[in-house]
Order: sequence, then C-alpha cells, then structure tokens
Amino acid sequence: MSDKNTVKDQTSLNQQEDNQSRRKFLSQAAATTAVVATGSVAANNLPPNVPEWQKHLGKPVNSNPYGQPSKYESSVRRLRVPWLTPDSIASISFTPLAEIKGMITPNGLAFERDHGGLPTIDPEQHRLMIHGLVEKPIILTMEDIKRFPNVSRIHFIECPANSAMEWKGPQVGRLQFTHGMTNCCEWTGVPLKYILEEVGVKPEGKWLLVEGADSASMSRSVPMEKAMDDTLVVFGQNGEALRPEQGYPLRLLTPGWEGNTSIKWLRRIEITAEPSYQREETSKYTDLLNPRDPNRKDLIGKAYLFSWIMEAKAIITFPCPEKPLKEHGKYVINGLAWTGTGKIKHVDVSFDGGITWKEAELNGLVLDKCWTRFSMPFEWNGEEVLMQSRATGEDGYVQPTLKQLRDARGVASIYHNNAIHTWKINKNGEVESVQV
Amino acid sequence: MYKFNQKLISAVVLALSITACSNDSAQTSTDKIAEHKGTSVSEKVASAILPSAQAATYEEITIKTGGFNLGKPASKEEIAGWHIEVSHGHNLPPGEGTAADGEEFFEEVCANCHGSFGEGVGRNPVLAGGEGTLTDKMKPERTVGSYWPYASTLLDYTHRAMPFTAAQSLTWDQTWSLSAYVLYLNDIIEDEDFVFNAQSYKEVHMPNENGFVRDERPDTHNTRCMKDCKDPASVVVKTALLGYGSGAEDVVEETKIVKGHEIGQKVYDATCRLCHDSGLAGAPKMDDTLTWEHRLKQGISKVHKHAIEGFAGQTGVMPPKGGNMELTDDEVKAAVDFMLKDIEH
Repeated sequence: MSDKNTVKDQTSLNQQEDNQSRRKFLSQAAATTAVVATGSVAANNLPPNVPEWQKHLGKPVNSNPYGQPSKYESSVRRLRVPWLTPDSIASISFTPLAEIKGMITPNGLAFERDHGGLPTIDPEQHRLMIHGLVEKPIILTMEDIKRFPNVSRIHFIECPANSAMEWKGPQVGRLQFTHGMTNCCEWTGVPLKYILEEVGVKPEGKWLLVEGADSASMSRSVPMEKAMDDTLVVFGQNGEALRPEQGYPLRLLTPGWEGNTSIKWLRRIEITAEPSYQREETSKYTDLLNPRDPNRKDLIGKAYLFSWIMEAKAIITFPCPEKPLKEHGKYVINGLAWTGTGKIKHVDVSFDGGITWKEAELNGLVLDKCWTRFSMPFEWNGEEVLMQSRATGEDGYVQPTLKQLRDARGVASIYHNNAIHTWKINKNGEVESVQV
Repeated sequence: MYKFNQKLISAVVLALSITACSNDSAQTSTDKIAEHKGTSVSEKVASAILPSAQAATYEEITIKTGGFNLGKPASKEEIAGWHIEVSHGHNLPPGEGTAADGEEFFEEVCANCHGSFGEGVGRNPVLAGGEGTLTDKMKPERTVGSYWPYASTLLDYTHRAMPFTAAQSLTWDQTWSLSAYVLYLNDIIEDEDFVFNAQSYKEVHMPNENGFVRDERPDTHNTRCMKDCKDPASVVVKTALLGYGSGAEDVVEETKIVKGHEIGQKVYDATCRLCHDSGLAGAPKMDDTLTWEHRLKQGISKVHKHAIEGFAGQTGVMPPKGGNMELTDDEVKAAVDFMLKDIEH
C-alpha cells in the first residue's frame, strides 16, 4: 500500500466503518424485507421510497444539551503528525482545512500548538498580573477583566511553522498537514491598551514580556507599539468561552502576527525597557538564512530576529488531496487567503503551474487579518492540471513563488513559508501535493 | 522591516469604542438609547435601586475619574513569586553553580531526553555541538552553543520549563550549575570549576551573539503577472521527496485496542506513555519485565498505591497519578493493569 493510500485510510477510517456497517445493515435489511413481506425496515431511503427517518419521531429536543456534529461527520477532526515532535505533549494538531465550510474555524477544529501540554485552569483562581515599568502594578481576576470595554473581532491565527515541512520538497501529502496550522475565529476580549492605560506605563517601558500559565510558562516579548495598537486580551471564542486548547480562560491575541506571540493561558504581563530574549524568540521562531540570491550572500548563516508578521498566503481547499474529483464536469474551486498586514485585495488562480493566471472571486466578508474565501468556476475533462493560488494584500505585497522564497532565504529556515502551493490533479481525479 | 501601525479597525464595535475614547461628544450606547426614548422604564427602575449608577463614556471613566480602578494592587511578595524571567543583562537570578556541580544532576535528570553529551535522544532538542553548521544549506544544527545568542535564555528556560515533567522545580543553584554544564558541553565554559553566577555572567560569551539581524521582510518581490509568467519548459513537477518520508506511514497511529484494557490503554496513551515508553525521568518501561516483577513482589495494591499517590524511588520519581490529577483512582489502576497485563502477578 502506498504512503498516500495509508494517509487516506486514516481520514476515511470512520467513514469506512460507517459505510461498512451501513452496507451490512442494508444487506441484512434487504434479507429481512424479503422474508417479512410487510416492511418493518425500509431498505431504501431514496426516491420514490419515503426515507426511514421521516416515518417516525426523532429524538427529544435537547437530548444533547451542548450539541455535537452529526455522526456522519465523525471523520472531521484535528490530526497530529506523530514524527514531527518528540512527544504528544509539546506538540501540534492540524485544522482539517478541507472540511471548513466558511471563514470561521469551529472551536473543536482549531489547530493547537502547546509547548508544555494543555493545562486545566480554574477561572476562579486564574489571575493576570501586570507589573514592571508601571505606576500601579495590579492583579486582575477574570471578573475584573470582563468589566473593561470589550470588542469582538474575527482574525486568523497562524503558526509560523505552518508549511515548514515543505521547504525542501513536497513532504506531507495532504492539505491538513501542508497548511493546517491556522485557524480563524471571532475573538472577544479587551483591547490591551485599556489595561495598560489603567496601570500607567512609565516612559521607559517599551516592551512587554507576556507569559502563560502552562507548564512551559510560554513567554514572548511584544513591543509596546503592537500592544497599544490592536492587541487583545481574549476570553471569548466564536461566542463561547475560549476552548482550553486556545488558552482558557484568557489569552493574548496579536492579530496578524505569528501564532506563538498570542500567548495562551495568559497570566502575566511585565513592562520592560528591552526585549527579554525568551527561548521562543531566539532558539526558535527565528529564521536562519541561506539565501541563494548572490546579492544577499552576506546573510548566509544569519537569522531574522523578531519576524512577527505572517505574510500573505492563499490555498485551494477544494479540490485537494483529501477532496479528489470523482467525475468529469463542472466544479467550483474554493480556497482561503489571508495576510497579517491587513485585508486581502486579490487572489489569482493558475491551472498551468503558474504560466497564466486568472483573478478569482472573493466571497463574503473581506476583513483585516482574517481568512477570506475565494472561488472560481472550473470544468474538468480528465486532463492533468497544475493548480495554484496566489494572494495579494491591500499593501500590494504579492505571495511569492517557492523559488523566490528559496532565493531569499534558502531551504532550512523552517518558519514563515508562505510560498504559492501546487496541487496536481491526476487523470484519475486524485489530487497530489507537488512542487514546480 | 514591516511597520505595524497599520489601520487596525476591523469591526464596527471597535470603531465605536475608539470614537468613544477620543471624541467629547461620543456617548455609550446606553446613553443613546436613553436619548431616543427619553427616560426609559428600565432606567427608572435602575435609578430607584441604584441611585448613583450612571452611564459614562470611556473617557469619563479613564481620564476624569482616574481609570476603571479594577483589580487589586500587586504586592512585592506576589510579584516576586511570579517574576521568573531571566533577561540578558538584567534580571539575573541569585545563586551560583559550576559545570562540575551540574554534571551528575544532568546525567540523572536531563540525559534521558537530551543525551549524556547534549546530543539529543530521539527527536528531543540537541543542546550541544553544531559549531560551524549554521551556513550548511540543508542541515544547519541550531544548538545552545551554535545558535543561541544569550546564555540568559538558557537559564530562563531551564528554570521556567525544565525538567519537562516537573517545571519550576529547580532551585537557582541547580539552574546555574545545569546551565554551566550545558555551556561546558559546548566548550563555551572551559573550566568545570568556573563559578557561574550573576557576577561572572558577563565573562561568558555566546559564539552566535552577533548572528541575528532584524527582520528584513518583505524580502521577496513577486509581481501580479497574469500571462506568460514563465517559460513552460521550466515547469518541472517534483513529487514527494524521497528520504524525508511523507509522514504517511507514521500518521496512522497504533489503534489496536487490547480487549479488557480499553480504559487503561486510553489512560496510558494519554498520560503514562510519555515517560514509560522512553524511560524518561527513570520511569520503568512497559516491557521491562524484571523491574516490574521486582515491584510486584510488594503486591499489586502497593503498585496501584504508588501510582495514585506518587513515589520517590532510587532511580526515579513517579508523580501522583502520573501528573494528571484529573484521573480517578480507578483510571490510574486500569492504566497500571494495562501496563502489567503481560507480566505474571
């Protein structure tokens, strides 16, 4: 069995089980119907027959007070790549982008990166301490925080290691793994500037050390300018409390910046004069360069420090390896695009590996630092297709080709791979992750 | 480098709140409702109960009345307990240690994951070596010695998050001595008796301190070309990399459920596996029959008890319930029984 098939098997495992039991059920049912003339079990729910579920009462209202997706959606879930991290505690789960139906990631599907496992925090005992170069160091309870003015905004979060496995070549054969370290939710919280105004930042306070209450005490340095701009202290996610995986009960959100700076389980903010050079901004999340461009050879062996912005990226979510084309005919290509610098201005799609491009339609809301949907009609007659998408931000920045990115940085910088991605539709309709 | 003073307004609500902050004539929505309806019923009721309650603009609250006055002042003691970071050049912690002091402790506590020479076990972080590899095109090795700009980060992370299974358990002396040992493994501290502390910190020079530059992105300059963007002959398709593994075979995690041990296996996978698969922190591995047989001489109930309540032995430490206090006693027992299913007792 090829690798690709093995992957497919896992996703469709539940579905297969369902199909198998359904087939079993159908064949049993058929046998029963043959024996018992007056049908107690309907063998066929398709027209002209009346479907089984239409002939008797459904479950009582509120049978499941929190609710959950249909059992037929049980294959829609986050997945890990076990070899990617040394253990399953400091690890990553990926959003199933092929299954996302709009611009919002459902809370149960939002990718998760933890560095010391998922803490279980009692909100009654959770505190946010703000101290350092301030007039008035304070400790806030969750109730205190919710009394500050709050706002709701829809923003993407993307781990800078998203697509990191693809620098040297196509390595992971599915959308969930090539691009699934991102999510986009409605976040509700307090603009951090209100809290900073409350404590009175001293003039020499130029940086913030932000720290989580997990066992890694995950920490980053954030400059005051970002903190006073659009940074939020968040307690709500898509209308409910933050999920534990997203930092319950409190997280930071630095819109458009690499996900790691949006510290989860936020417990402490210290105002400092200088950055604190934490592990996740020195040994990790820095971009080691080995440019192929001769004009940049002085950067060989150097690394970008504080590379916060997530640059523009677009990805086709249908078709993709998880969602092949099953027959010839007309389709609509769907995809998502985002940029950490503002709004998406254009998305272009190519069917010939980047020789010619056509502008796609942007669907629905186009918001700042937010997933934007795009689509394009497409007719497939069974030929091989090299499909790409390319985002342009309102700042005029155009998503680079993989070659341009490698010329600028080499292949070993791990983070911030926002290269144009290629899906190859094969003659049998299967979709393969390739590079051109 | 990017400027990040972009226009930030993405939601109407925010726009309203900013207006409210910066504009004298701005009012809260409550004010506006009251204005439209005259004095509303609900407002009358509220006034009757709470005569002093008033709607106010953010500006009135933040400037005229001296802020929201939320929270309580943080005391020096409270700050001291949480103020854990070590920063380059300031905030250096008390205590001291030498590489010689750190060696034994490193071997006992850290080497399980990081290797005796900091070479890294499995996919755990490599701490030492890698000198001269940062210019390697394919496999630069970023270790404490080859890559990290400041020794403060080593002190900081060791104290904040290590050992992996027992964060914030190290004393500052242990932190200084372990850090000294890691720097010794990297030939950055050459004398194993060098006393590493806040005073001697500045004598330690990290080789890659000047290896970092400010983010220069955008560093690519693509254009929105729409046709004839490249030579068709240059479109060469590269499929899955050989030698890197598609990850596919590994993606399928072992899902075979051992009958009769469904709960125990689930608990083991989620909580116990981390240490008992690898032998981390001196944990006996599942297939280490001799060790388990020895322990079982005390009776299974004793093994259960130690798993639930925790136990400090000669070779390692078992935290209560494997560190997951959300597990019930029965779940812990089920995990133990799953682990011992092939060992006679």
